[in-house]
Amino acid sequence: MIQVLGLTKSYGHLNVVDQVSFAARPGRVTGFLGLNGSGKTTTLRMLLGLTRPTSGEARINHRRLRDLRHPSKEVGTVLEQGISHPGQSGRAHLISQALIVGASRSRVDALLDEVDLAEAADQRTGQYSLGMRQRLAVATALLCNPPVLVLDEPANGLDPEGVAWIRALLRNHANRGGTVLLSSHLLAELAHLIDDVVIIVKGRVTCEAPLASLYDNVASRLRIRSRDQRRLWQVLESAGGRVTRNGDVLEVVGLTSEDVGEIAFQARVPLHELTVDPPDLEQIFLTMAAAR
Amino acid sequence: MIAILRSDLYRTVTIRSSAVSLAVLVLLGLLLGAVNIDAWALLAGMGAFGFAAMVVAQHYQHRTAFLLYLAQPRRMVVLGGQLVAAIVVATAFVATSGLAVLIRGESGPYEDLLTVAPIVAILAASCASVIRRSTWLLLGSAGWFVFVEGLIGRLKLPLPFTSLISAGAGDTRGLLIASLWASLAFVVASLSIGRDLTGD
Repeated sequence: MIQVLGLTKSYGHLNVVDQVSFAARPGRVTGFLGLNGSGKTTTLRMLLGLTRPTSGEARINHRRLRDLRHPSKEVGTVLEQGISHPGQSGRAHLISQALIVGASRSRVDALLDEVDLAEAADQRTGQYSLGMRQRLAVATALLCNPPVLVLDEPANGLDPEGVAWIRALLRNHANRGGTVLLSSHLLAELAHLIDDVVIIVKGRVTCEAPLASLYDNVASRLRIRSRDQRRLWQVLESAGGRVTRNGDVLEVVGLTSEDVGEIAFQARVPLHELTVDPPDLEQIFLTMAAAR
Repeated sequence: MIAILRSDLYRTVTIRSSAVSLAVLVLLGLLLGAVNIDAWALLAGMGAFGFAAMVVAQHYQHRTAFLLYLAQPRRMVVLGGQLVAAIVVATAFVATSGLAVLIRGESGPYEDLLTVAPIVAILAASCASVIRRSTWLLLGSAGWFVFVEGLIGRLKLPLPFTSLISAGAGDTRGLLIASLWASLAFVVASLSIGRDLTGD
């Protein structure tokens, strides 16, 4: 469980994060979305104790990070595209971290297998690709098998297979009752993974809701082709639909597919195509970001 | 603190550039010690400072300090572990690089430098913790030593490097003053350890 309670970070008179509050719950994957410079990374750093908040506090499993007896057993973190010394091998990096957090060498070997780095374990991390560094960062976060995971852009640099792998890993973690909070700009990828959304715009949280409820609140768009587009346009507009043209296709918002079918039938206009274009996460996010 | 110490010592020997630098400078120290004790003392003092600073500074340079503070949010514990690791590395370097001096029967200079090595390590590691950038630290230290302590102070004022040199030559007053400078650096490092970590 992650609780962010009124976190504020000010530099002089500028509030880069302003009274940010939200929660990430066990068994759920929470996406933390924001444009560059919106205060996303600063919030995550305050949550993890790397940056001191001007006011407010963050709790992990109901306690501040610094009050946790074994922080690594409570929260695992993936930050900044994989942090490691480029002159150290992947295995040595994991052992260095294992020595700090009290994990065993057998756990290191098991994790190297799990993240598919066993063959590259003795290579220096400076020779790793971005995707391999991300896998190593995930292994570092999982050393103590913590129930809470916080990840900043975890899919960055991963190939499609790697993205599918991390998606499955995070989904399984949440399904086992773990808490996952992740930020990403790859909205299409997030849409397949997250259960809850927190949107931050200019340092303030503008939305905290289950993803499904956001989809319900945003109207779907209909794509329609017919023999008589002009006639259909007129009857759909007179029925209250907002109609735009995209090539030889009419795009309609404000009516359901059932409405359009009935209207076209009554107007005796045969339809060649009627498809529902559901709203995507990117569309929802951009609408909310622009609303501020 | 023991966990940080063990981890940092393991890192030092498994980072290739650190391990190679240590091996090369120990060999050079053994060679110099066999022919010129003053040259060995200069190398050992500078090496001890550099390796001790490296133990701390590399964490900020390569951002692994993030991982340290995530695993151990009590930053004074991290600083304590790093200082002890720096003392171990610096003292081990002086001890092994000076074996040729010891074999020659010159135990006096060997023991004097071994005594001052932990103080050098505390000063270097504390400064690295405050400055957080290895290039700034090493260039700044060199500039300070040459211009302030060398050209202005003529190596006679009770300043950090001057007193370390005196202490390395067996001067008790120099050892005391160097200890005070190292203590001051440690206090400043303790007060500044809670600063925000930045990504750059």
